[in-house]
Amino acid sequence: MRLSDRELDGIVILEPKGKIMGGPDATLLHDKLHEIIEAGKKRVVIDLSQVDWMNSTGLGILISTLTTLRNNDGELKLANVTEKIKSLLVITKLAPVFDSFDTIDDAVKAFK
Amino acid sequence: MEKPEISENQIKIPPSHKFLADVDDFLEGILRKFKTEDSVIADIAISVSELVNNAVTHGQKINSGLPVTVQINCLNDKIKISVTDNGGGFDPEELDDPLADENLLKEVGRGLFIVRSLMDSVDIEANDNGTTISITKTIQ
Repeated sequence: MRLSDRELDGIVILEPKGKIMGGPDATLLHDKLHEIIEAGKKRVVIDLSQVDWMNSTGLGILISTLTTLRNNDGELKLANVTEKIKSLLVITKLAPVFDSFDTIDDAVKAFK
Repeated sequence: MEKPEISENQIKIPPSHKFLADVDDFLEGILRKFKTEDSVIADIAISVSELVNNAVTHGQKINSGLPVTVQINCLNDKIKISVTDNGGGFDPEELDDPLADENLLKEVGRGLFIVRSLMDSVDIEANDNGTTISITKTIQ
């Protein structure tokens, strides 16, 4: 997995790319998240459009991100969730746990 | 063993998560030869990554440092993949239900549940020498 980030209207957009399968992927996202929180930014969108697939480690990273942000009075939204990831969220009953949007713009607007 | 060892239908990796990508590359290379649909390749790749993650994390309690082996066999229209670790594994009956309300927001514990959801069959064989989990999936 590769990870880039940018800001849109004061909201951090995280853009993972590739496959989220464990090991270094979790460390990369965990470190980035703590960097974001330490910088005082608490509103985050994860754009999943370029993630081929993720396994339970990837789902664990999403849960960890959600709970870490909430514990710091922040919020997480997902954008462009692919069909493959959507089906994993459904079978694991995690779909209702996350706020998901069709586009990054929609996710950003939802913070306002 | 410091790096993956690959033969025709088998890859052995040192017990480290950093070799997950090597297993994935090896697996995808084989599945592409059978013109398997992308969605099916993803389901198999997700499942194998779960099993290898588990083998690296939980399968090293007795003989740490020994490799994790992934073996792939094609049987007509099905593929069978076996992941073997070196002992001290787990009892699947003792796993928590990942769909229970109290477990829903746990970061771990849903790997085998996902494998069972995505594959046609899952067979677990554990003994003193290690655990082998075999999965099958129709690919054509």
